[in-house]
Amino acid sequence: MSGTGRIVIEGVGAVGGFGCGIADLSRALADGDVRPGSLALSPGSGPVEFAAFRADTSRLKEFVPARDLRRIDHFSRLALLGSHLALADAGLPESERHRLGVIVASGYGATGITYAFLKSFINDGDICASPTYFANSVHNSAAAHISILLGARGPSLTVSQFDLSVPSALLCVREWLLEGRVDRVLFGAVEELSDLIGYAWYRLRGASCSPMTPLWTEKETAIPAEGAAFFLFSRAEEARAGYCTLETAIVGSPANAGFPLPGSGLLLLGADGRRETGRRYAPLAENARIACYSPLYGSMPAGPAFDLAAAALILKGGRIFPSPGGASLDFPATVPAGGEPVGTDRISCLALADDGAFGLTTLGKLPDSQ
Amino acid sequence: MSVAPVAIAGMGCISAAGRNLPDSMKSLLRGERSPAPPVRFASDHPVRFPVFEAVDFEEPPDLLRTGAFALHAAREAVADAGLDRKTLGALRVGVCVGTTVGSVMSEETFCRGYLAGGDPDMAPFRRILRSNPADVIAREFGLSGPRQTVVTACSSSTDAVGIAGSWIRAGLCDAVIAGGADELGRITYIGFISLMITDDSPCRPFDKNRKGLNLGEGAAMLLLASEPALRRSGMRARSFLLGYGSAGDAYHLTAPRPDGAGLRSAISEALATGGVSPASVAFVNAHGTGTPDNDRVEGRVLQDMLPGVPFLSTKGYTGHTLGAAGAIEAVFTAACLEMGKIPASAGFETPDPDIGTLPVREVTTVPGSCALSETLAFGGNNSVVVLGRA
Repeated sequence: MSGTGRIVIEGVGAVGGFGCGIADLSRALADGDVRPGSLALSPGSGPVEFAAFRADTSRLKEFVPARDLRRIDHFSRLALLGSHLALADAGLPESERHRLGVIVASGYGATGITYAFLKSFINDGDICASPTYFANSVHNSAAAHISILLGARGPSLTVSQFDLSVPSALLCVREWLLEGRVDRVLFGAVEELSDLIGYAWYRLRGASCSPMTPLWTEKETAIPAEGAAFFLFSRAEEARAGYCTLETAIVGSPANAGFPLPGSGLLLLGADGRRETGRRYAPLAENARIACYSPLYGSMPAGPAFDLAAAALILKGGRIFPSPGGASLDFPATVPAGGEPVGTDRISCLALADDGAFGLTTLGKLPDSQ
Repeated sequence: MSVAPVAIAGMGCISAAGRNLPDSMKSLLRGERSPAPPVRFASDHPVRFPVFEAVDFEEPPDLLRTGAFALHAAREAVADAGLDRKTLGALRVGVCVGTTVGSVMSEETFCRGYLAGGDPDMAPFRRILRSNPADVIAREFGLSGPRQTVVTACSSSTDAVGIAGSWIRAGLCDAVIAGGADELGRITYIGFISLMITDDSPCRPFDKNRKGLNLGEGAAMLLLASEPALRRSGMRARSFLLGYGSAGDAYHLTAPRPDGAGLRSAISEALATGGVSPASVAFVNAHGTGTPDNDRVEGRVLQDMLPGVPFLSTKGYTGHTLGAAGAIEAVFTAACLEMGKIPASAGFETPDPDIGTLPVREVTTVPGSCALSETLAFGGNNSVVVLGRA
């Protein structure tokens, strides 16, 4: 492919516990405070209610007629809303969607409707299994609904790599554009907090409490979450305007490959209050300038996509947001107070998996001419 | 628009057709198939639909069967490439695996327990978290490169192979273990029955009287490597990944677009990136599930775009292995190119005038050096790889 080889984020759309749209996310980042909602469950041990970041998809009706949403579940609605917000933010007209690729990352997939499908035959027998629930339970249902409703006939891909779903999928965003397979990629990550996932969370981690302090690794402070963060990527030559460039996307294991952290710039950590994962970040962030915004959107495999959105907003606005969980002695690093100039052309977003694998995505400031 | 070929240095597979690739090819060429109602799980559905359960193999107890399948096929591919773990560890090796159930948070015993108001054992849930197929392979071999589990339904592992080629050409890796794995269980079995696209007799891809698919299970892995990695590690190219294309139908969640527009685009892209003309295609390993809709659309597209090119469906030997299908069929395609012949399209007897073209009915010699393997997925994604003989 000819051209600069630069990839640009043209639009961002996000929905989560902080609200809906880039304005709500910007406000949350500036304020440094989002109050979580809650999730109520009735497991065998008795009713329980705990803090959880829930997302409201009611604004989807601004973009999609209600009749088209009748059989679409919460998981796909989250993704559809994120997609439409990103496209609207970028101002991409319908006439330019024919060479649009769709890539969706999700750690857990459509768990709510999967659970509903299981209930349909557990309660009423195998012959009563719901075909609608089954069809919507496939992991790529969100990408399929996006392609169908947008009329996007480029390639479609869904990636599920748990905590590394986002950086792993970004490898393909980059290659699709650099290879010239598509003109644009609508990329996003989505997670729903279904009863099933909420219950599993409760059993594995206990009832979460507020607030999240991800840079304090001595205690578990993660709050489960749902939401979607989507981006419209394009080659710089075709981009109208944008937030920043996608410089690199790296996924690997540090076991024998070294760890390619940037020497300067801002490092945005994907730490999200899970104690065992948080401890892995601390030594890697040594002496770096770090920030962490997960207390604004919670803990979920799609979290790195929200980190990416925060980094894009910083690079566009030129100022760092405060890290809501505050600094910590556990992290021998500099945590900017917030409000100061970003002072760098690059921000790297680091995500770690339980087994030590990593994803490192670096965004860059747009040249002044872009 | 053509891209550089990427060497395939090793292949492995497991399915109902065999525990490894050589056994599977012998079985296919003998025309053997034995679909039967499932024995690994039970259903109270009044109809006992036949399936293709994989042959027995060694399953680590701490993994989902999907992860175990992936590992089994990966070991064969690595051994086939002549690599030991030390040599593999000296390379930047990525893993890209397609699946449908390999990372789905659904476990029936767990859900039954929760629904019944109990507090079910969390062990099944933890097993799912341990069993992401790309992670399983990366952990087993201590690999340092990127890892990705593709979950684009039935095109997942065709996409995984195509993505692996892209990673190598982009210099992200020296080699990639790429393929697909999927297990067959009650949830999938009941789900496909609910869609009314399963045949209550052995499946008949492209046959006029076809009624639907038979499910299967298994895995296949290919070890793709860059030219420098081949030289450095003493591997040889067994075949080549020449081209890859994929495109969406943007039509329906479970039905293919009637005009096959997405499949046409995918075939065109695969041929163009492979630098291959339709006239030079030796054969096509079609998706050929045996459902009325799939086979009608696919057959018409083949008749239109690749007239006269022999084609077959190997799902008559393996069943539809879902996320593993693309990889299993890709390794069958590469092996057939090596042998210069393809097996009969099992289950086909009666021509369908609505399709207008016929798959091969007997073992057929296929002169030529490249072939297509194609998959169509729920959600409307269509993916095609072009493979070439070494």
